[in-house]
Amino acid sequence: MASPRQVQGSAWQGVLRKDLAIEFRTRYGVSAIIMFLLITVSVILYSTPGEQLQPSILSALLWIALFFGAMTGLSRSFVTEEERGTALILRLYASGESVFIGKLVYNLGLMLSLAISAVLFFQFFFTRDFHIRDWSAFSIQLVLGAIGIASVSTILSALISRASQKGALLPILALPVLMPLVIATTDATRIALEVPNAVSASQGDLLILISFDVAMVLVSYVLFDVIWRD
Amino acid sequence: MKIFRSNIFLWCLGIALAIQVYIAFETPIGGSFGDAAMLSMNSVQDVTPVKATLQSYDPSSTIAHFKDLYGDSGTVHMTDGSYKTEYKEGDVLVIAVAYDKGTKAFEEKELVRVNPMMTFPMIQGLGELGRNMLFHVPMSMVAFIAFLMGTIYSILYLVKKNPDYDRRARASSAAGTVFTILATVTGSIWARFSWGTFWNWDPRETSIFILLLIYAAYFMLRSLLEESEDKKARIAAVYNIIAFVSVPFLMFVVPRITQSLHPGGGGIEAPIINLSGKTHTDRTLLDMHWISVLLFLFVFLWIKDMYTRILRLQDKQAEEA
Repeated sequence: MASPRQVQGSAWQGVLRKDLAIEFRTRYGVSAIIMFLLITVSVILYSTPGEQLQPSILSALLWIALFFGAMTGLSRSFVTEEERGTALILRLYASGESVFIGKLVYNLGLMLSLAISAVLFFQFFFTRDFHIRDWSAFSIQLVLGAIGIASVSTILSALISRASQKGALLPILALPVLMPLVIATTDATRIALEVPNAVSASQGDLLILISFDVAMVLVSYVLFDVIWRD
Repeated sequence: MKIFRSNIFLWCLGIALAIQVYIAFETPIGGSFGDAAMLSMNSVQDVTPVKATLQSYDPSSTIAHFKDLYGDSGTVHMTDGSYKTEYKEGDVLVIAVAYDKGTKAFEEKELVRVNPMMTFPMIQGLGELGRNMLFHVPMSMVAFIAFLMGTIYSILYLVKKNPDYDRRARASSAAGTVFTILATVTGSIWARFSWGTFWNWDPRETSIFILLLIYAAYFMLRSLLEESEDKKARIAAVYNIIAFVSVPFLMFVVPRITQSLHPGGGGIEAPIINLSGKTHTDRTLLDMHWISVLLFLFVFLWIKDMYTRILRLQDKQAEEA
């Protein structure tokens, strides 16, 4: 990639700073996420008044909310660049790797804030049933799940931004690919809600999450250049 | 490849498949006297086929002494009286026997086969259904190989930019989807007679369903894109590689750590592919299973080659138009 050498050092930080500045200006991502979570939680509350929600159901609901919240918030990262016509400039100024890392870190931050606000919402609205017994296991699987969803949606968002139809494609492409991760995190969340020493109880799930995250981040890092360089 | 276009190859493959299907359904299943006694005691089934060597036979009382494959001896009251005309001492017999709990002796219900070429083992809880191991398991294995080959072709396409690799990737993934559907159908029939219903949402059933969704998304992506051919091919190749990252998780990891009706679930060792590298499957059944894998692999390569040629012709037609 032909880019000015002096920018290389912290180019990905530049991409990250740019995305953060745009986010603070429009607050599109964060408000979309908050709205999405509020609607999801209120639908669940409306349909289950006074009912006891089992940990298995709560963990599934949490990850459904997180997955589709991520699809609304994170799908924008490359689509907006194409829509605003700024993709070409980004290509000129930064190398493929730095754009990928910048976008990945930005998406990871967005995903983590989504995850934290979702957990706070669940804590606040399902006070009685959503009772985390093991915070360390819960946060480990939450962070690992966030990394996986962020990396898959970053690379797939870059993929669909090159296509002419951008809207509905991302969830269809991302859900089956993310399914092993969602299965493992849902199971790990359920265990963290049920037993106090959940790290050892959900060891298999955590191993799946770690290996999935490592494989996905590496594969998307390698493949990003192929999509980006046109 | 040229070989898949020759009639001789296709005839050989067809005949070999027909023989394999015939063997799968014709080979008698023979267990041991221990199996027969246990299945009868647990009220699973009253009549069980047993494979045993005839040691001695007393024509006056029609009592025969057998030794089964584990070396256990069994006394069988023979009822058909075809001694000397069909079998004699030293012959290997597959006989369906009923167990008498009182006398601990067996009664012959039916003479299944004398000196069979081979027999399949009596698998606990499967019985005659164990024959499906020659179809369901090899089909799943070939499906995985097909998806792996599709991914390798996608990588080759991205590296070499030759549109033929893209066609091969598409053809491999399509053939892999066909084999996944075949494995799902054979497994579903198996589940109907072994677990009671066609579909149980067993972890492995769920993961194979998601696998089909992945490749449905792959082909949908292809048909939805309105780009130039090489751009379409590049996007599809990248998605194919990303999707393949989750295939091993779906096929090998998730079903193994969760509780499952399938063998290999919940930390129990799977009969064919497991971590200790040892199989606990009967040699004959295992050998026939690998022959099935080989034959289905050739069927896959044939479908892949045919579909690649169709795609090649379609592209050529589109270019000329």
